[in-house]
Amino acid sequence: MLNKLAIKNAYRSIKDYAIYLITVTLSFSFLFAFNLIGYSEDVLNLSSTMVNFKYSMYVVNSIIIFVICFLINYTTKFIFKKRSKELGTYMMLGIKKKKITSLITKENLLLGFTSLFLAIPLGYLFSIVMSYIMMNIFELPKLIKISFTTDAFIITFLYFFIIYIIVLFLLCRRFKKMKIHDLLYYERKNEKKNKDKSILSTIVFLISLALGIFALILFDKQFISIGKEPSMSQIFLCILALIISIYGIMITISGFALNFVLKHKKLKYKKENLFLVRMFSSKVRSMSFTLGTLSVLITLSLIALNISSLFKGMFEYQISQNAPYDISINLENMDELPKYINKIEEFYSIKEKFIHHTYYDSYNNIRNGILNDYYSWHQKDLVIKLSDYNKLMDLKNESRLNLQEDEFLINCSKEACEKIEESNIKEFKTKTGKSLKVKDITNEGFDRNIVGFSYFSVLPDQYVEELMANTILTVNTKEKTSELFADQLISINSKDNCHQENNMYICYSMSNIVVKGKEEVTNKSFMTITSFICFYIALIFTAVVGTILAIQSLSESCEYKYRYTVLKRLGYNNTDCYKLIRKQLLYFFIFPVMIPIIVSFSSLKSMNNLFQIALTTSNEYLSYFMINLFFFLSIYILYLIATYFGYKKNIEE
Amino acid sequence: MTQILKLNNVKKYYGDSKGLITKAVNGISFEIEDQEFVAIMGSSGSGKTTLLNCIATIDKVTSGSITIGDKDITSLKENEIADFRRKELGFIFQDFNLLDTLTNEENIALSLIINKEKTDQIDVLVSDLAKKLGIETILKKFPYEISGGQKQRVASARALINNPKIILADEPTGALDSKSARMLLETMATMNKELQSTILMVTHDSFSASFCKRVLFLKDGKIFTEIYRGEKSRKEFFNEILDVLTLLGGDVDLVK
Repeated sequence: MLNKLAIKNAYRSIKDYAIYLITVTLSFSFLFAFNLIGYSEDVLNLSSTMVNFKYSMYVVNSIIIFVICFLINYTTKFIFKKRSKELGTYMMLGIKKKKITSLITKENLLLGFTSLFLAIPLGYLFSIVMSYIMMNIFELPKLIKISFTTDAFIITFLYFFIIYIIVLFLLCRRFKKMKIHDLLYYERKNEKKNKDKSILSTIVFLISLALGIFALILFDKQFISIGKEPSMSQIFLCILALIISIYGIMITISGFALNFVLKHKKLKYKKENLFLVRMFSSKVRSMSFTLGTLSVLITLSLIALNISSLFKGMFEYQISQNAPYDISINLENMDELPKYINKIEEFYSIKEKFIHHTYYDSYNNIRNGILNDYYSWHQKDLVIKLSDYNKLMDLKNESRLNLQEDEFLINCSKEACEKIEESNIKEFKTKTGKSLKVKDITNEGFDRNIVGFSYFSVLPDQYVEELMANTILTVNTKEKTSELFADQLISINSKDNCHQENNMYICYSMSNIVVKGKEEVTNKSFMTITSFICFYIALIFTAVVGTILAIQSLSESCEYKYRYTVLKRLGYNNTDCYKLIRKQLLYFFIFPVMIPIIVSFSSLKSMNNLFQIALTTSNEYLSYFMINLFFFLSIYILYLIATYFGYKKNIEE
Repeated sequence: MTQILKLNNVKKYYGDSKGLITKAVNGISFEIEDQEFVAIMGSSGSGKTTLLNCIATIDKVTSGSITIGDKDITSLKENEIADFRRKELGFIFQDFNLLDTLTNEENIALSLIINKEKTDQIDVLVSDLAKKLGIETILKKFPYEISGGQKQRVASARALINNPKIILADEPTGALDSKSARMLLETMATMNKELQSTILMVTHDSFSASFCKRVLFLKDGKIFTEIYRGEKSRKEFFNEILDVLTLLGGDVDLVK
């Protein structure tokens, strides 16, 4: 009978349960989708390093479980609060606590299974959409097919049970501790007097702030430059200190803001400030720990997005350095040219084609200038004609280089550039005895690799000696090049580099043939997966944060509807009320994002010290930061808008 | 004396989906002069709350006109109504309707803030009125820290602080015990006598009504009769009210 009653009652409060069901279903479908992608054959076959990926999946999964546990526990508490009166009434009518406990357990399990059941197809759908989005963002060379794997299925089930055991344990423990009175008046729980603890909270605030700054500085110290390995233990210390600091600040800051506004009469009585600040601080005070957690989650998602960008940027830079053109071939002699051209035309249509030479510098101007004989293994320095250089720039759609009669340019890899700058090389002596001044030292992506050199000089045509070093064919094709094509090209040159394996014809890369398609595939898997995981974590965390804020606001809108009725009676019209709601929600949503923005920026700046060597420019991270923040905020704002309309609807009812 | 409120043949009908019409207010006309303290009495379903809601611009009349000051409020537009409510009306509700996140002082000030009173004036006005109503000691507390009677006096102060043309009270003693109710009614009488405010109160409690200067009795959406206190003592007036209620019939036994 009681079961029937409870089900009937649950049915009547279906709207509240809908929130619960949606949250739990979404969480599990995220989890399932993540596992589907992680355990899919195609992903694991991306590269041999993917075995490590499987282990990192376990780590990531356990973080996500923790977060989902938090989310479901939060939602369960929310439902529990809604039904506390009903449960209290059951107890007052003489039903034993044990029986009610079993009722709650059954009910939650039923809801849990329902959402799990719904989450499986939804998660599958998610994984398809997600992998499609990823594929586009990361420009994966081939489409990853996601198939139903039993592994993912079993793991998701396992996680479901772990999560529910924890959540139900917490729920039952909470219920056992409660007396009838607590249940009947649970809704008034927040209405206790908040003693003035301003001195204590000021101290805690200052300590937290100091701890946070300390953590950021320590973190920055870990990434001074390349060559110095960051200490993992210190990084963990930073993370721990940061988390404590974020909690500390979030818990104390509302009191700060409140006192500030209350002390300043002008501010206090300006427009709706009083109402907003009081509303805000009471809300923040009653859920400060939750808000702290949300802030930590947002910090993690922003950092994850930043790391994702750093890896993506690193990858792109590497491609632009290693393979700036679709095809580059270092020809041994001109007789080879026709067979290469024929092969290329067999696969693609040629957009642009250019043949140029590199020449030796018999004085070895650069090598002799570099301190410590760093490049002593180079036989002879290379030079290139300005006209050829500019033609190559044209092929990349980049601006031409202008050199005066007495100027030259050094093109080098980042590492070599550093050495050259250190050595203060300013001069180039030609064979005719003329001295050229250096115009610039640049590390524009070029086929330095194909000539096997870390640097070369660009001279005005007339000063280039006639001693030819290499002949290089550069081709841009209309279509994207593929790995398969690269292997065909390599096999023309040297059949020894290729062999048959599992019906696949596999060739090792050769230094004198560079095909963009092949470079991309070899470099991509590791970085893509790292980016992918970070991106995914960010997405899940953002969704969790948005959901919790939405649930909190919507439940509040039902509970405190009368506030707006009062305001209306005092002369507020609907427009004023909506404006007030918008402001209130905006502050509430902005509040947990503020610290994460500062922390994620600072940490990205630190990491950039290490990564900049592998990025196009040292300020590239700024654009990553802006793009990621924009990406995060656009999802976040969607939640805000949805919450606003839900809130408005609840108030109007 | 100037006339504050004038109702002219006000009707409020409700229709349901089956086409049945409920005549909640069926042709009521009366006037209230400046500084009057009037009660509207009647049994449940007699239309008193509907009538008050119409005067409070919360509900729209079906026909007839309601004039407050020199404005016909039935012809006001949505935006004008909010402005009008803000400037000219004060409300006291049965369930207090104080905001629990604001202190009592701030609850009273809220009304001034909404009316864009000068910021340096707000504190002065609030503490001044609080002294007059005897609630200055609880100003810094929150609504959940004070009793129902005190809450209602804070609500009265909030209604009064804007100097509205008329204060509308809907069963203000409904949620109070008899001692608190008496204190509140004395406060309201003070507001009326010493602060020259005009009050219209809806109640089904004859004890509350006996504090007023005039009582209107409603029955089936129409005015049944009205009586004036004149020079009578409160007790005599109370007995007179009971007599009328007996005549009215209905739920007299509900009356204290």
